[in-house]
Amino acid sequence: MRILIIEDETRIAARIERMTRSFFAEKLKRLDRFESIEEGLSFLADHEIDLLLLDLNLNGENGFSLLESVLSRSFHTIVISAYTEKAITAFEYGVLDFVAKPFDENRLLQAFLRISSPGQGKGLRFLAVKKAGEISMIEVQDLIYIKGAGIYTELHLNNGKLELHDKSLEKLEQLLPPTFERVHKSYIVAMDHCEKIMVNSGSKYELMLKNGELLPIGRTRYSQLKEKLFGQ
Amino acid sequence: MNRFLLFVVLLLSFSSCHGAQDATITEVVYQVGDEPIWASPTFDDRNWSKARAYIQDRIFWVRAHVDLEKAGRVEEHLGLRINAFGAFEVYWDGQLIGRNGQNKQGGKSEIPGTETSCFVIPDTLATKGAHVLAIRASQAYLSSDLRDVIVSIDAYRQLIKSPFIGASLMNMVAGVFLVAAVYYFFIFINSRKRDYAVLIFCITCFLFFILQLTEYLKVYVEIPYAQFYLRLKLIGLLTFVIAFLIPWYFSIQFNFKRKGLLLGILGLSLLLIFSYNYGHYDLTAWYYGRAMWCAAFLIVGNAILQKEKGAGIVMTGLLVSALVDYFLNYDLSLFISFNIIVMCMLYLHTIRTRDAENEYSSALLLSARLKTELLKKNIQPHFIKNTLTSLMDWIEESPKQGLVFIQALSAEFDLLNEMADETLIPIQKEIELCKVHLKVMQFRKEVTYHWSDTGIDQKETIPPAIFHTILENGITHSKPLPDGCVSFCLNFIKQPDCKQYTLLTIAENRKSVSRKEAGTGFRYITARLRESYGENWTFTSEARPEGWMTTIKIYNQK
Repeated sequence: MRILIIEDETRIAARIERMTRSFFAEKLKRLDRFESIEEGLSFLADHEIDLLLLDLNLNGENGFSLLESVLSRSFHTIVISAYTEKAITAFEYGVLDFVAKPFDENRLLQAFLRISSPGQGKGLRFLAVKKAGEISMIEVQDLIYIKGAGIYTELHLNNGKLELHDKSLEKLEQLLPPTFERVHKSYIVAMDHCEKIMVNSGSKYELMLKNGELLPIGRTRYSQLKEKLFGQ
Repeated sequence: MNRFLLFVVLLLSFSSCHGAQDATITEVVYQVGDEPIWASPTFDDRNWSKARAYIQDRIFWVRAHVDLEKAGRVEEHLGLRINAFGAFEVYWDGQLIGRNGQNKQGGKSEIPGTETSCFVIPDTLATKGAHVLAIRASQAYLSSDLRDVIVSIDAYRQLIKSPFIGASLMNMVAGVFLVAAVYYFFIFINSRKRDYAVLIFCITCFLFFILQLTEYLKVYVEIPYAQFYLRLKLIGLLTFVIAFLIPWYFSIQFNFKRKGLLLGILGLSLLLIFSYNYGHYDLTAWYYGRAMWCAAFLIVGNAILQKEKGAGIVMTGLLVSALVDYFLNYDLSLFISFNIIVMCMLYLHTIRTRDAENEYSSALLLSARLKTELLKKNIQPHFIKNTLTSLMDWIEESPKQGLVFIQALSAEFDLLNEMADETLIPIQKEIELCKVHLKVMQFRKEVTYHWSDTGIDQKETIPPAIFHTILENGITHSKPLPDGCVSFCLNFIKQPDCKQYTLLTIAENRKSVSRKEAGTGFRYITARLRESYGENWTFTSEARPEGWMTTIKIYNQK
């Protein structure tokens, strides 16, 4: 685990670091701490990390500007902030959790636990996508399905376009709302775009989408999907 | 249409009723000398002169032939009004019917009569038909002033009453100006800001009151003809001053730029009019009025171009007064047009008062807003929640230190609460607040903050939380020096014309991406300074090699 903490209050940063170290213990490969957006960004430019712990107000600078650019990256972000009224927006933009200040150890651990549990996201509305160096926001409701493609994912949109995202299918699954279902180890589908399940010979299941595309259904996921789709 | 015709006919009939001639009077004739026979109706005065001659204080006679259209009755006695300089006896058909003053008699010198005098014509003498009026007069004073004797005949009651009706109306108007003058005088002496436009307005109103009173003084005060010009001189003087004050007032209210030049030219032309027309009292006053009107027209016209509030209505007033002046004779028009203009001034003044009221209420709003802003400082989530998070950590790690932290925090709350209602607080209290804030921030940021102050005058006051705000900005935008310290040094210098506070932050300046936070902080500071010192202050904030320097200069109130 490689973790980055961006927090301008030394005392709080030290507190977060202490709790993080005790939670991840020897799994923690590396932990860095910065107190400004600028320093954080320059670190991220040439370092890969697995988790970002971010404060939203850093010496008078708005952490949201940072949020948009980091959410297109492959790592998860947990916001730790005093601005609880920003929580909904943060979730819409795709943070894994929002820890309100003041926080105790339990609350932070709860957030850490979400990293390893599948779970569902809270109100994700946008996916940040990096295209030609620019960040653009894709509305989640425009997604038909997502296909895992190695370390990144393909977002198939209902306008026929295809975008690439740096987060893994597993990480996206943690963020996406319950209207999305993992149908295969390589596919997540928006439920309202499903037309029917086709059973082929040899217990091979396929999902037909409303646009006529066929997606494979994992053997282990068939019954759960059927129940979700048809309520049986 | 029929109705309109009827109305016109009615109007005509009324006018004919009123305009009915009671008598025709021939041109008066004069003769120097003194013969009792000259009073007789049968005396032949055909070779008497139609013009008066200079005769010093000798007796002269005046005769006129009167033809009465109707006889005097008990219900309506006929009366005679004579406008003349001098002392005289009045004979009607040879009989003495009245006296104005006392002619020179033996060793006694003349007792002067009034310029206007009225006499009742006894009913027995006021028969329909031809009569002779003879006046035995002398003019010992102002004897070179050969004024014509003017005779008119009307119902006696009418002669007595009509001047009073006019005077009472004008006095009512004068009363309004007296009240306005007194009211604005009180406003002037009781207002903190000495607004000299108010004083000018108040003086104009008062002079105008005196002017109207003086004009109609003759109706109820018997002025000997020898003092006749005294009143006119006074009127001239008052008109002169008013003609200067009104444009002056407009130039202040409408922010006229070349005030001095215009008022100089106006003053000069008023003086020229005075010297050139000396002795022509009514005419001079009328010229004064014209000069004033032209100056006012220039100022108000310019104000309309400058889009000043109320300029339109004052211009309308000026134009109406010009119209009135065109249609009426100048004695009356001067007063009516002056009245209109002064009314315009009054209206303008109420507009300014309303503006001042608005300004005041917005100042109150500002104060209320600043108070909330001050209270918000310590309850905004960023401050309170970050502080509480640090506090939790301190309590978990070192409860003793945690307690010190809590005490510092509560001291900061106490101080901010104490000063929330104030607009100015002792400087010592502000320093206390700064120190306690640094203590709190030290717990949070784990940076050593140093505070020092030099030259502080304990008697000085300052708007609350100004340095506190500068401190907050300093903490946000400064990185500690390699030794882990950030120092704040407050210095006070008193100069003859101003007081100067400098707060130097010794630290490394952060490269700030956005200056928004500094923006709100600065807005708070400047709003507080404006609230307490008006425009008499400067506020600068700039980078220095050693860190950051903030300077506040407060100039002595003018």
